Amino acid sequence: MTATENPPKKYKYVGTRPIRHDGLDKVIGKARFAADLNLPGQLRAVIVRSPHAHARIVSIDTSAAEAMPGVKSVVTGADFPELDINHATFDESVNVMARDEVLYHGHAVAAVAATTIGEARAAAAAVVVEYDVIDPVMEIEDALADGAIIANTKNRTLFMGSDDESNLASFAPFSRGDVDEGFGSADVVVEGHFTTRFVHQGYIEPHGCVADVGQDGKASVWGSSQGHFAMRSKSADILGWSTDRIKVTPAEIGGGFGGKTTIYLEPVAILLSQKAARPVKLIMSREEVLRATGPAPAAEITCKLGATNDGELTTMQATMKYSNGSAKGYAAMLGAMSTASYKFPNLSIETFGTINNIPRSAAYRAPSAPQAAFAVESLVDEIAKAIDMDPIDLRVKNAVVEGDLTAMGAPHPKIGFIETMNAIKDSEHYNSPVPEGAGRGFGTGFWFNIGEQSSATVNLNEDGTATVITGSPDIGGSRASMALMAAETLGLDPMRITPIVADTESVGFTDITEGSRATFATGMAVTNACLELVAEMKSRAAVLRGVEVDAVEWVDGAAIVDGHDPLTIPEITAQAKMTGGPLTSTASLNAAGAGPSFAAHLADVRVDEETGQVEILRYTAAQDAGTAIHPSYVEGQMQGGSVQGIGWALNEEYVYSDDGVLENASFLDYRMPVASDLPMIETIIVEVPNPSHPYGVRGVGETGIVPPLNTIANAVSDATGVRMRNLPMSPPTVLKAINDAKG
Amino acid sequence: MATVHLQDSHTRFTDGVKVLEVEGATIGQIIDALEAAHPGIGHLLREGSSFAVDGELQPRGTFLAAVPDGSEVHFLIPITGG
Repeated sequence: MTATENPPKKYKYVGTRPIRHDGLDKVIGKARFAADLNLPGQLRAVIVRSPHAHARIVSIDTSAAEAMPGVKSVVTGADFPELDINHATFDESVNVMARDEVLYHGHAVAAVAATTIGEARAAAAAVVVEYDVIDPVMEIEDALADGAIIANTKNRTLFMGSDDESNLASFAPFSRGDVDEGFGSADVVVEGHFTTRFVHQGYIEPHGCVADVGQDGKASVWGSSQGHFAMRSKSADILGWSTDRIKVTPAEIGGGFGGKTTIYLEPVAILLSQKAARPVKLIMSREEVLRATGPAPAAEITCKLGATNDGELTTMQATMKYSNGSAKGYAAMLGAMSTASYKFPNLSIETFGTINNIPRSAAYRAPSAPQAAFAVESLVDEIAKAIDMDPIDLRVKNAVVEGDLTAMGAPHPKIGFIETMNAIKDSEHYNSPVPEGAGRGFGTGFWFNIGEQSSATVNLNEDGTATVITGSPDIGGSRASMALMAAETLGLDPMRITPIVADTESVGFTDITEGSRATFATGMAVTNACLELVAEMKSRAAVLRGVEVDAVEWVDGAAIVDGHDPLTIPEITAQAKMTGGPLTSTASLNAAGAGPSFAAHLADVRVDEETGQVEILRYTAAQDAGTAIHPSYVEGQMQGGSVQGIGWALNEEYVYSDDGVLENASFLDYRMPVASDLPMIETIIVEVPNPSHPYGVRGVGETGIVPPLNTIANAVSDATGVRMRNLPMSPPTVLKAINDAKG
Repeated sequence: MATVHLQDSHTRFTDGVKVLEVEGATIGQIIDALEAAHPGIGHLLREGSSFAVDGELQPRGTFLAAVPDGSEVHFLIPITGG
């Protein structure tokens, strides 16, 4: 069952569920993903990847490969310009192609393009690389140990002003109040050490691109990404080109979840194409995706909470250590920042980011928040049990509201955390008995969401239909959302609107589809462009009616002038030639006022005490969407985030050998949940509108992955009486914990 | 004049002071004033921070964002997303 709380109906189109504009092409297989594109004369390329997790590259000999049948071009790190170590794209540059140092098993060291994929594979195998192998640094504590081997000699700790090599990616403390005093006044103190492993975003479509460099020296690229403008600018940085030499056309994207906010292939394909003077197609295998693209960080978190017997959370103290993989990042800081759900008058968090010989980590929906929430929400659950208080009541008592502070000290804007928890408390699920022999867990999650830059052009066609052109790749139904916001603003049926995601030369700059920002920020650009069109149509109607524009009102898609029949959009566009020419509008913005989103989840689980297997019996997710523009896609995001979080909680982890080789680089061995593993995820959309958006949008793509880790841990604890602090809660782990508890 | 709230990680430049009164009509002017008083902090605030003005999260890099007199400005760790 899917339940949606409907607010009083304010809109005609926003909040409805039309069939998505791109749906038919995807259902019948006509939609073109990167791997579907083929150009005349196209070559196939293969990346040569390091068999070692950590090594110096002594030499690379490509002569044998270049002499092999069908081979048209070969590139190595020597073909790329050296960026300054402080350049914003430096880490991505060496991640795309290693220079003198291999940072993880599967790191790219060379690439070959040949007439057929078989010839390219054979030539790749003939590239001779001499390595000076170094012990890999695989664990967080290994990276931080005194005298540790340096995992990446180019790493400098973020913003510390030091030029020393270090395994420390970042360090940042956060504090307020007095934690000693806070714990002193607490009646209950709970603490624990929590661990999570590297997990992959698991998008179904591997990375891929086709690049074609013409005789004019300009490259056309078709690629799958969350941001084709970023693909252009990062590729330009890595190649040392100006951006006008690269045009990127976004292919359909088969999932990203944060993992396609960075690039891996495009500069390589461009260089191979330039050398060969032929188009080059470069598609990763699933194994390459798992070995060489960004996992979500592993984490080690020690956390301690204090509370009074009447349920006031007084104090939080934590040490959060996250591994960024092979290159620096903000992972640990983001984890601390995401602990923003409770007032905690006294708070102290120290964060450490580490470098390890594991692929450079990437965002996974709400980056770093699930790991931190796993620790905090598990301990909040323990406090509820310790003081015999309903877990929702405890959270509601301490929940942040508008004006309360995040861990970073900034006040929350208008938020719907309490409303979201109350939606679960009022749900049929919460008010039904726990199945016999099962356990029930409740947990929550938070993510900030962001605004950033977006552009949109809206064209009204001669017959009154419209085209909405944006630069935000559609990874979660954003075409439909753009059409609905345009429809609402113009007063035009959404099925008379064609939403398009355009290439980098056909629409204004637009930042990556990340941070749950597309419906928020790009939707705002679409709305602004449509508002300009409404104003222009009122002017045209004034001309046609011979009145001042002030005498024209815009009502439900028509210009209204007293004493005249309404002028509809098709009537106005049909006469545009007479009244001033085509009706088109473009809006660009750098959006402020992103609205944070909270989620609350409820799970019933049964644990097989003979095998340790956890079965999800029932799962309900509630989330504040602000306003659900297209409720079906909001529910889809909530369900997708929930399922990915359930996989993170129960099954998924990278398994490495002692020498740093990933041993489960396939979906057979890296076990993600599939439909048959789970019940239908029930959803409750909560709508506390974001006042900074014309339709109240908050963005919903990320927060849904935050609660499942803690919600299921709390449910397993309820079912077994054993507190699970290490993920994944795979059958052997759970069985061991149960048996250890039995003594 | 705005009330500026810094992160703990910024306070190594300000002798541990976390809240300051700073002159400036834009975020950029406030950063410049902070850099003048506390050399070294400017790079960190420009390159490694998000910020909020009166509780509203601003896009990164919008150094021309207006800071009305009496505003509360929070410099934050960079907020990214997936």
